[in-house]
Amino acid sequence: MFDHGQPSYAEVNKDILSVMLETGPRYWMLLGTTMSVAVIFFFMPWFYQLIVGVGAAGMSRNAYWGTYLSNFIFWIGLSHSGTLLSAILHITNSPWRKSVYRSAEAMTLFSLMTAALFVMVHLGRVWFVHWSFPIPNQMGLWPNFRSPLMFDVMAITTYLTASSIFIYMGSVPDFAAVRDASTGTRRRLYTIFSFGWRGTAREWHTLGWAYTFFAVFVIPLAVSVHSIVSWDFALSIVPGLHHTIFAPYFVCGAIYSGTAGIVTVMYCLRKFLNFERYIGQVHLDNLGKLLLALSLIWSYINMLELFSSWYGGSSFELEALKFKLTGFYAPLYWEMILFCAFVPLLMFFRKFRWSWNKMLLISILINIGMLTERFIIVATSQPRKFLPNAFGFYFPSWIEISITIGSFAIFATMFLIFIKWVPAISIYEVKETLKPLRRDA
Amino acid sequence: MKWGNDLSTFVEKFRQYLKPGYYDEFDYHWTMTIDLDRCTGCEACVVACQAENNLPIVGEKRYAQNREIKWIRIERYWEGEYPDVKMGFIPMLCQHCDAAPCEIACPVFATYHNQDGLNTQIYNRCIGTRTCAVYCPYEVRYFNWFTYTWDEPLEQQLNPDVTVREKGVMEKCTFCIQRIRLAKDNAKDDDRRRVRDGEVVPACVQSCPTEAMAFGDSNDPEAKVSKMMKNPRGYTVLEELNTTPSIVYLKKAHAES
Amino acid sequence: MQFIGAGSLGVAGGVLYGESVQKDVELLIPQVVPPEDYSPGVASWYNTVCNQCSAGCGISVRIREGKAKKIEGNPVHPVSQGRLCARGQAGLNVLYNPDRIRSPLQNATSRESGSFTEISWDEALTTIGSRIGRLRIEGNASRVRLLTGSTRGGLDELFAQFMSLLGSDHYQQYDFTDPGALRAANRIAFGMDQLPHYDIKHADYLLSFGADYLATWLSPVHYSLAYGHLRQGRDGQRGRTVQIEPRMSLSGAAADEWIAARPGTEGLLALGLAHELLRAGSYTGSDRDEWASALQPYSPAMVAAETDVSVDTIVRIAREFAESTASLAIAGGATAAGTNAVASVVAVNALNYLAGNLNQPGGIFFNPDPAFSAAAGSRQVGMQGMLDLAEAMEAGDVEVLIVHDSNPVHALPENVRFRQAMENVPLVVALSSFHDETTDMADLILPTNTYLESWGDDVPDPGVGFPVASISQPVVAPLYDTLPVGDIVLALARRIGGELPIRMPWGTMEEFIKARWRDEYDGRTAGLEGQDFDAFWQASLEAGVWGQPGIVAGDPSMPSSAAMIAALANPVSEFAGDESDYPFVLHPYLTATFLDGRGANLPWLQELPDPMTSVVYGSWAELNPATAEDLGIREGDVLEVETPAGSVSVPALIFPALRPGVVAMPIGQGHTAYGRYARNRGANPMDLVSMQIDDRSGDLAWAATRARVRNTGERLQIIKTDGVTRTLGRQILGPKNDHA
Ligand SMILES: Nc1nc2c(c(=O)[nH]1)N[C@H]1C(S)=C(S)[C@@H](COP(=O)(O)OP(=O)(O)OC[C@H]3O[C@@H](n4cnc5c(=O)[nH]c(N)nc54)[C@H](O)[C@@H]3O)O[C@H]1N2
Ligand SMILES: Nc1nc2c(c(=O)[nH]1)N[C@H]1C(S)=C(S)[C@@H](COP(=O)(O)OP(=O)(O)OC[C@H]3O[C@@H](n4cnc5c(=O)[nH]c(N)nc54)[C@H](O)[C@@H]3O)O[C@H]1N2
Ligand code: SF4
Ligand code: SF4
Ligand code: SF4
Ligand code: SF4
Ligand code: SF4
Repeated sequence: MFDHGQPSYAEVNKDILSVMLETGPRYWMLLGTTMSVAVIFFFMPWFYQLIVGVGAAGMSRNAYWGTYLSNFIFWIGLSHSGTLLSAILHITNSPWRKSVYRSAEAMTLFSLMTAALFVMVHLGRVWFVHWSFPIPNQMGLWPNFRSPLMFDVMAITTYLTASSIFIYMGSVPDFAAVRDASTGTRRRLYTIFSFGWRGTAREWHTLGWAYTFFAVFVIPLAVSVHSIVSWDFALSIVPGLHHTIFAPYFVCGAIYSGTAGIVTVMYCLRKFLNFERYIGQVHLDNLGKLLLALSLIWSYINMLELFSSWYGGSSFELEALKFKLTGFYAPLYWEMILFCAFVPLLMFFRKFRWSWNKMLLISILINIGMLTERFIIVATSQPRKFLPNAFGFYFPSWIEISITIGSFAIFATMFLIFIKWVPAISIYEVKETLKPLRRDA
Repeated sequence: MKWGNDLSTFVEKFRQYLKPGYYDEFDYHWTMTIDLDRCTGCEACVVACQAENNLPIVGEKRYAQNREIKWIRIERYWEGEYPDVKMGFIPMLCQHCDAAPCEIACPVFATYHNQDGLNTQIYNRCIGTRTCAVYCPYEVRYFNWFTYTWDEPLEQQLNPDVTVREKGVMEKCTFCIQRIRLAKDNAKDDDRRRVRDGEVVPACVQSCPTEAMAFGDSNDPEAKVSKMMKNPRGYTVLEELNTTPSIVYLKKAHAES
Repeated sequence: MQFIGAGSLGVAGGVLYGESVQKDVELLIPQVVPPEDYSPGVASWYNTVCNQCSAGCGISVRIREGKAKKIEGNPVHPVSQGRLCARGQAGLNVLYNPDRIRSPLQNATSRESGSFTEISWDEALTTIGSRIGRLRIEGNASRVRLLTGSTRGGLDELFAQFMSLLGSDHYQQYDFTDPGALRAANRIAFGMDQLPHYDIKHADYLLSFGADYLATWLSPVHYSLAYGHLRQGRDGQRGRTVQIEPRMSLSGAAADEWIAARPGTEGLLALGLAHELLRAGSYTGSDRDEWASALQPYSPAMVAAETDVSVDTIVRIAREFAESTASLAIAGGATAAGTNAVASVVAVNALNYLAGNLNQPGGIFFNPDPAFSAAAGSRQVGMQGMLDLAEAMEAGDVEVLIVHDSNPVHALPENVRFRQAMENVPLVVALSSFHDETTDMADLILPTNTYLESWGDDVPDPGVGFPVASISQPVVAPLYDTLPVGDIVLALARRIGGELPIRMPWGTMEEFIKARWRDEYDGRTAGLEGQDFDAFWQASLEAGVWGQPGIVAGDPSMPSSAAMIAALANPVSEFAGDESDYPFVLHPYLTATFLDGRGANLPWLQELPDPMTSVVYGSWAELNPATAEDLGIREGDVLEVETPAGSVSVPALIFPALRPGVVAMPIGQGHTAYGRYARNRGANPMDLVSMQIDDRSGDLAWAATRARVRNTGERLQIIKTDGVTRTLGRQILGPKNDHA
């Protein structure tokens, strides 16, 4: 379990809490950088777009949806592994989950929030976004529950709420640990956060029970969220989007990219927060196997999608297919196939699964491939709909590209702030995995 | 017992939901016919619509980005190669589909079906998700990517019966709903229960120099459109999608020789 | 606003304050005492006449709160019958054009500078009046020249009176779109100066030699209506149309058959058809033998070789044309713009004669009884007249040049050097609403009301088969410090003095028009019984038109064929440029959107996709797909199109319905002035046209120049709305048709 020898309880507390309690200049520089990137690349262009109109982006009547929406799906996808994986592994009682899940769940939360930001950026009149919520109003006008976008609103808010509760619940004992290790304002704050957790048997029992309940609750939710997001596309009749396979395809892709995301996040935790002792080869190996399995499923679904487009023989579908495979964006498509279908096959070899650097590279390539996948879905289907005379082209503008870059900075910023407020690795669950104790703990 | 009642109410409601716009029957069913054998692709209708409905002048740069707004456009299709080459024109505007894909798309009911069988667009309500435009198979929805302005004094021409749209909202052909409204008001003033055939003439239909278009209430079997619809050349575009459009095209006749 | 002159800060501040308050208080009705016909929220409609081309469609303008909101066809007007073309609709862009000239202007420094200073009407009219007055007294009135576009009706009459009272016989008109060859040929063939009524509506076989009757030829709205009727207006009978032209026009697209004969040989094809028609024995008139001998050289075999149209096609079309109950052949476009244009049109006229299409339903009606006697078009001078004018100007024979509604600097080929000739004219006066290329060369600009703010009247030419006259009336109050053209003429007459104000006593154009109509009324009382003049005037004003539908074609007698036979000549056009140097034929064409370029300043038209290509905002050169492929040219490659007369650079557009060996270019863009929407956009193909003139009409043979194209290697985006222009087998134009 532990690569560098088993730590003591005290060491666990110290290792994990030191990240929170000791802040060096390197952290501030990093935070400063990500925040500036977020402001310059994301918020300033967005502000400009708010003033001139969504026309600042590259969309046109050939593609009313563009990079904003493909990024939205990407981030929703990335959110998937966190909570979902954590819940599944919790239920199946996999011990290696314990040092991973907190950051994974945080990833869920932050990528959901980033995704929500993209909805805002996408909207023509974001200042009326509240109209898409079923808020009672004097006009007696409700949102349109037939709209897949309404399903989205429901699904994503539910998922966000459930994930927040899930991560919070799992963190309560750790908040208590922080409380116990700190003084002054921080102590008072964490007294509130920890709900007065004392660690009695009854508390542990209740937590365990509630946690398991939520884990069971969250799993179908996670599946539904990306199914529903896929229906934004699949419920249209647009060739290239109107595919039955989209729900499983999206869910699979989501977990796939999410898992790859976790590898990246773990690498960073290990590297920059010195968690080598808690995040070890076992985790990497297991994640590698999972990724490999997901990549195979993903490839299978992809082939199915191509096959049914071709086999269906509809001229609309065939044209969209042709555009996807051989049109302007074909290089991107084949890049995606390479990164998401072929590169992951390397993980059949233990040599790759056991190397942090190689795994980092693979996981980043997978996520680049998945980002591309979403882009290809929006950029190759809409310009090839039903009326050839309206065929066109979509290319993102610099604003869209800049905002895409900025979104990663936003995500990173949220993560950086998170590690200062919440133990990035679950203290108590790591302790649970320790062998019976030496006395000095 | 109670459950049974609830269930049947539910089934009833659900049935209702399956009907176009949830209506049992439309008051009017405004319908347009376009005879492609008359249409010459002259685009008089395009300018007529622009004038009537305050469509913006978007400028060269934005035109180049495909950000133009033309509620009715003429699509061109070539057939064959030189010298046996033919050109087919087809005016494309909102088909006011009874089973409109755009309507299920909109999360906020900014686009919905009205009692007259029209697919209507409520600019004030639109939040600009553009889902409707992605879902519309006829690609006749146009988005205000910017707030367009008019070079002074071109704004003096703006039709006071039609709003000017701002950035971030979707728009499309309304079947000149302001003219329908006017005709209904006139009918009411005359103590008539219904609008007469021919009383509503949308701007595009009005202008068409070849009289290729007809407009009226297809609920009325005596209306001109009802008769035109029976023409054996009649068809609807993308019929296989089952959108049940309210625009019936009459196929170009070919010379027998 | 004259206060600003006071200059003190306080006053200026006060004025600014006043302005800003005025801006805030947007009045529903912008008059202190609104006219009584202003009824807020209720639209009123005024009937007047479209002036966007020479067809003379009647229009109805929708007015709300004193502003023009929409133009529609006048339903009771026999030309437009309630319908309108795109250009007609865009008339509102003329009225509310942001680039209108808003007050009289005087050239600030030199002609070239193009900068002007505002002056008062009084000053402007005095300057002109005294100068012309002096010339008149000196007996040098002929040093005053007046050039207009295609002015008709009352205004034409007023101009004519003005010039003749002045003592100058130099009132001339030049309009690129004027069918000079048609008039000349009709004069020769039918002895008729006025254009006849082409009864397309009732035809069942329409053979068009280059005439784009659906978009640009003579009376597009009227013929579009007729076309609709020809196709589907009669139960169980669908008329057939055949179009002969090297580049498919809108009418070609509508036709059942499009034949790309070798450019310049269309007239010859007509003679070949006539020959075949005669040979087949379809014509049985007494002058059969004379025709046979005159047409003898034009055997189908010979014609087929020259025109590149197969013998079979010639024989078949001749048969179809002869066998149809109501056939009709018309000529226009490039067919009527070769070096032998008149001969080509005469050949087409001969075809009509031989098929018995004269004075027959679905054929050609002569229309010798127009309302008002002035024969339209008679003052059109064609290119020869313009060359003469330029020469006179160059030679210093012109002291005052008054230009109205004509833009020779843009419309004439560069080598006429009209701009340079203008330098030699001491006083150029432009009566204009816009800063076009010619107006910008003026010393004095007198800003005119647009046609929607003016009084006038019009007799459509071609007519509709019975006497018709329309009234123009202002539909809105003038927007700026401008005057109607007629009022300017009358005001000038008063300043010049002498006989002019006595013989031209009307205070305003409105008075003049009313007087004119009173004369017409008096002359026609026979037909207008039971109505006094005021009632007649009121009714005509409300209707915007007056006509006598009962009275058709005054003279049904057949024109003699002798003149026609005598005028038959081999109508093959000569091309400027050697084929080996210039392998292409340049085919400039009028566009449905801009016509000859007058529409280029209207934003709605700039943004209207060109009907055949969907291009907006620019110009281009079309090549046949195979030709383009041979030359390795793709859409958007910038081509240098060069002719013996000059060269221009435009992006290439691949156009499937173009004869190989032809390079086609739209006319209309390429303005160097004319407001923000037109300026510096595309190229003007007139700069490529060699100066060749058809002697019989004096018109420019603008379709008789050869060209070569060179790929410059640069690229330019062509802005167009079309994506893919093939149906890809999708059933968009209808269920799979059984004839495909
Ligand atoms: N029966 C009935 N009564 C109502 C109401 C109702 O719905 N029904 N509504 C109520 C409400 S909400 C309101 S706001 C009031 C409105 O009541 P009023 O303020 O009386 O409004 P109006 O009758 O519309 O217009 C007043 C006058 O202004 C003139 N006018 C128009 N433009 C101008 C202009 O530019 N300058 C000047 N000086 N005059 C101009 C019009 O010709 C008209 O005579 O009525 C109230 N009373
Ligand atoms: N042509 C024209 N237009 C005008 C004006 C004008 O004079 N002429 N006046 C302008 C002015 S000043 C105003 S204030 C506006 C007024 O414009 P609106 O606010 O549109 O006023 P109304 O048409 O009087 O009423 C709107 C609707 O409210 C319904 N209604 C009545 N009571 C209730 C209620 O208790 N609850 C609900 N939910 N609905 C109710 C009525 O049946 C009606 O359908 O119009 C402006 N527009
Ligand atoms: S106005 Fe009529 S003929 Fe012209 S393009 Fe429109 S539908 Fe066709
Ligand atoms: S044509 Fe398009 S916009 Fe119009 S009703 Fe149908 S789906 Fe909606
Ligand atoms: S763009 Fe507007 S109308 Fe269309 S779906 Fe979104 S909110 Fe509805
Ligand atoms: S019906 Fe009215 S809104 Fe629709 S295209 Fe025609 S003119 Fe435009
Ligand atoms: S045909 Fe000529 S006169 Fe008639 S509406 Fe068009 S531009 Fe005006």
